[in-house]
Amino acid sequence: MEVLTPKSTIKTTNNIPEIEFERQGNVAKVIRFLKGNPALFILAFMIFVGATLSPVFLTVNNILNVLWIVSVLGIVAMGQTILLITGNFDMSVSYIVGLAGITTVLTQLQGAGLFVSIALGLAAGATVGLLNGILIVLTKANAFLITLGTSILVYSLNLILTQSKTWYSTIDSFLILGRGKLFGLLHYSVLIFLTLGILLQFILKKTIVGRHLFAIGSNPRAAYLSGAPSNKIKLLTYVFCGVTAALAGLVMTSRTGSTVANAGEGIDFESLIACVIGGTSLFGGKGGTVRTIVGVLILGVLSNLLVLLNVPYEAQQIAKGSIFIAVVLIDGQIHKR
Amino acid sequence: MKRLKQILLQHNVIILLTILILFFSITIGKYFLTGINLHNLSRQISFDIPLALALTFVMIAGGLDLSVGSVLSMGAALTMGLQSNGTVFAVLVAMAFGVAIGFINGMLVTKGRVVPFIATLGTMTFVRGVMLTYTKQRPIAGTSEAFTFWGAGSIGFIPVPIIIVLIVCLILHILLKYTKIGRNMYAVGGNADAAFLAGINIFRTKLFAFMVAGGLSALSGILLASNLNSSTVHLGLQSNLWAIAAAIIGGASMTGGKGNVLGAILGVVTLSILTNGMNLIGVRSYYQIGIRAIVLISVVSIDAISAMNIRKQQLMQAYGLRQ
Repeated sequence: MEVLTPKSTIKTTNNIPEIEFERQGNVAKVIRFLKGNPALFILAFMIFVGATLSPVFLTVNNILNVLWIVSVLGIVAMGQTILLITGNFDMSVSYIVGLAGITTVLTQLQGAGLFVSIALGLAAGATVGLLNGILIVLTKANAFLITLGTSILVYSLNLILTQSKTWYSTIDSFLILGRGKLFGLLHYSVLIFLTLGILLQFILKKTIVGRHLFAIGSNPRAAYLSGAPSNKIKLLTYVFCGVTAALAGLVMTSRTGSTVANAGEGIDFESLIACVIGGTSLFGGKGGTVRTIVGVLILGVLSNLLVLLNVPYEAQQIAKGSIFIAVVLIDGQIHKR
Repeated sequence: MKRLKQILLQHNVIILLTILILFFSITIGKYFLTGINLHNLSRQISFDIPLALALTFVMIAGGLDLSVGSVLSMGAALTMGLQSNGTVFAVLVAMAFGVAIGFINGMLVTKGRVVPFIATLGTMTFVRGVMLTYTKQRPIAGTSEAFTFWGAGSIGFIPVPIIIVLIVCLILHILLKYTKIGRNMYAVGGNADAAFLAGINIFRTKLFAFMVAGGLSALSGILLASNLNSSTVHLGLQSNLWAIAAAIIGGASMTGGKGNVLGAILGVVTLSILTNGMNLIGVRSYYQIGIRAIVLISVVSIDAISAMNIRKQQLMQAYGLRQ
């Protein structure tokens, strides 16, 4: 898209101002783009720090490894981004990740085929998403508290289903999803993550549904009055978020070949951080999935660095908490209303 | 009689409570209504009341605090970890820590313009990280036998912690009802714009509510640590949501400006009796987690629906369509 800005000189003929537009150069466009995406600088800075601190950081293996590790978080963050754009949250994604894996593995143990079990896993995620959506649309309650509630509900379901035991997948080809590589190089899960991000960005920017999402997020009242089907879209975004979380759960399960009740714990918080670092606002109406990809990569590089530098797990928690506070503070200052 | 009717109308929770007590008395009365069970129940309630009060305070001022559980566990860890430097010192440090976290929460919400649940979600994770680092994920055992009196001791038949907590409740009740800052909290939570125009310092009022909440969470941690004579990393996990549910059952609302001390106590009693009854019946812990979640979801939903109805009625009145 070409950006047009008004020239300083305005000719007037017949008292009607005529504004001549000037096409911006490519350099100006790049500068504008960088100004709007401070996350890219953070990522570049962190890669620079990583490269100076650790000799193994910039090896191809390590980079591919980071991508592989973040892909689960990334897929969850895609659904979360869509919800955040509409001004909603989903804190139940963490245990949906577990539920999807559990459903898939347990149905496999009951004798279901590969595709049936995967479909059931995704359906489980969609069901929880639907429950979230219905509750929030009907009661107009605080989405945060409701999804925290369903999150615990799903956790209890996970415990009941697994009886707190570890269950192993019986179908070998299921493991391809998490471990398989395209041309022996790029993991399929990374491919899913990146494709999803780019596809959703296209939907957000170029389709009616995408524009409705932004409208609902930035001004729900105006969106309602201009005829956007708010409730239907809210419901669908929750179902979608449930499905992406379930997909992430399948990837996670197929990576290890096993599943436990609390798989995915903490991913709700991380996905929020990833979205907000990337530049999606917690206040709704602003953001995009490609931005979230950058945010997810920042988190991935950060935790990779912390591991490479032998920082203990507890300190990583402190780091995550502080970063989250810092990021939401900045978000609060930028998107003041 | 009129006063009694008024109280009953204000606290719908009393009806719920009566139903629960009747149900458990009839089904499992021989376990439920024993002296030892009621004794334990009141002890358990005394650890939960400070958290529900913390949430009530913050919610009256129009906020929400998710960090109470983490502050509780850190309070317990500090009380046990610093005991070698003197019990009083340890307790004071734990209280100071709670108030400090409350201060940070308040600053983030007021000056930082962060939505309360997001801000406190951040401090929750942060404090939990601090706690895990401090304790190295190991339980800390207490060294002072005398200190256990405050959490595990009894005077006659009555547990000591419930006496402490009831005194705290009385102070907070007076604070809420009869002091300027208490009334300001209702005003700020009910209608921040009107409160601002009336000349109330919103910043100071909210900060105060969050700091009281931090202190109360730490108090709960101190009492728990005294009761167990140790602190573990599992203390306070998910108790923030349970406390939110108790506060809302007790009459606080997510919309702010509502709630009181008596309601918070009744909310805790209701939820504790529910848990106690489920334990006595023998409901498995996995199912109990699910039931808790359903309670939380229903409570939040009912609160939201009633807030929606109130808004609708106000609109009808404003347009002269009073039914």
